[in-house]
Amino acid sequence: MNTTASGFSTGSTIERPRPPDPQSGPPHRSVAAIVASLHGRAGKTLLARILADYFILSGRRPALFDTDAAERMLHAAFPDDAIVVDLTEVRDQMILFDTLVARSAASRVVDVSHHAARRFFKVMQESRFAAEARARQVEPVIFHIVDRNADSYEAARLLRERFEDCALVLVENAFLGKVKDRTRRSPGFQAFEDHELRMTLPCLDPEVLDIVEDMHLSLSDLMREPLSRGAGGGPLSFDERADLRGWLGGIFRDIHRVTRAVETRALSLAPAGP
Amino acid sequence: MKPVVLMVGADKGGVGKTTVTRTVLDYLAAKNALVRAFDAEHPRGTLQRFHPDITEVVDITTAADQMKMIDTLATSEIKVSVIDIRAGLLDETLKTLTEVGFFDLVDAGEFNFGLMHVVGSSVASLDEIAEVLPYVKGKHYFIVKNFINDTSFFEWNPTIYRNYFRGTADAVEVTIPKLNEMAYEQVELSGVPFSDFVANRQSNGQQVNNSLVLRGYVRTWLRQISDEYDRVGLLDRLYDRTAAAA
Repeated sequence: MNTTASGFSTGSTIERPRPPDPQSGPPHRSVAAIVASLHGRAGKTLLARILADYFILSGRRPALFDTDAAERMLHAAFPDDAIVVDLTEVRDQMILFDTLVARSAASRVVDVSHHAARRFFKVMQESRFAAEARARQVEPVIFHIVDRNADSYEAARLLRERFEDCALVLVENAFLGKVKDRTRRSPGFQAFEDHELRMTLPCLDPEVLDIVEDMHLSLSDLMREPLSRGAGGGPLSFDERADLRGWLGGIFRDIHRVTRAVETRALSLAPAGP
Repeated sequence: MKPVVLMVGADKGGVGKTTVTRTVLDYLAAKNALVRAFDAEHPRGTLQRFHPDITEVVDITTAADQMKMIDTLATSEIKVSVIDIRAGLLDETLKTLTEVGFFDLVDAGEFNFGLMHVVGSSVASLDEIAEVLPYVKGKHYFIVKNFINDTSFFEWNPTIYRNYFRGTADAVEVTIPKLNEMAYEQVELSGVPFSDFVANRQSNGQQVNNSLVLRGYVRTWLRQISDEYDRVGLLDRLYDRTAAAA
């Protein structure tokens, strides 16, 4: 197996995600990824994990926040890194938002539980988080996962309106099934027809999905090095591995594309720096 | 424009009188009104700690300090004077001002006068209001219910309340909402105006890095208060412009 110095596979099934090149690329901005959805079980924690792994592989170890103090799913996946916050407490709101807004090169990922979403976005709005973050070279991005129903698109539309100064990536999750016809005719769905920032979580073989859902499996380790662990604790088969890597690689490319687009847009809006 | 005197007072301590005064100073500054403030909490001066540039500590019981406030009204470039009356001295201050002829000047139209009476939740507050009413007849009288410290006004029975307010058509009710305790404490520690806390300024004018979340709470709260002062037409009343519908 050919691996590069940084440990990425150069196999043909996936392309390695390209971290922004400090030499030729734009000045570095860090990303605050806010993962949210209207309903539970939409794949928020999965996407939050993948985002975290994307940043780890890009050499930018992210700060991770789990807003579900009861379930702590992101924390289960990253026990050493994820900070669990209870947004009913002002102290925890401070821990979360004051870290999110801090000027630093590290990226940040927040898994916004649908139970905590109302409060999260209220504090985000009242603290003018997006404007302050951008002033400190931190680019906030809401990843809003939609499902088959019109209300999820409507919720995304309202968020986009409410946070005009914050990028919103519409995430369609193929696991959740085909979008209903009624949804397609809804104003919420149609509001996103020309929306450029969007990505899809593609389907994955259910058996391979079981492996992903094993919270102790590090997806970034999986990309970096051979694994001994597979479904049922056995080694991963060649096919499972290829499936998984292909699936992840595609999502990483999408994340790379949308975060790059957000950074480029931010730079075009920001006043020219020194 | 006529000189304006706005007094903020309470008979009981601990109802947040100085906090209300601070919100008024922030509000007036946001409306570009030039203001001077007198802190009658002689010799301690809580208000002066937060607004040192515009605040003078006075002992309202002395003739010298009364002159400092009243005799300068006509000549001062700054037309709005806000006086934070020491707790427990509201009644006495009003009496003294009557004796020195202050209210005669108000009645003669020399300047405008408003009183913001910060009341507590108990029935005793209603007695306070009754005591103050004779002085404020025909003047701008604001009864301020202060929820900053989460006071609940459960003791205010509507019937009793209405009885007290018979013949007080001029009284305007103002509600100050609650501010998150942690945010309030941080501003106390900073010792700066609320608006400076929001703008990340410390007392020497330098930039600080206050909590984004706490600044958000204070900003939202200030906006609610500003909306409330707008609603009751605080400035219009004090400036004798067409009063907004209360």
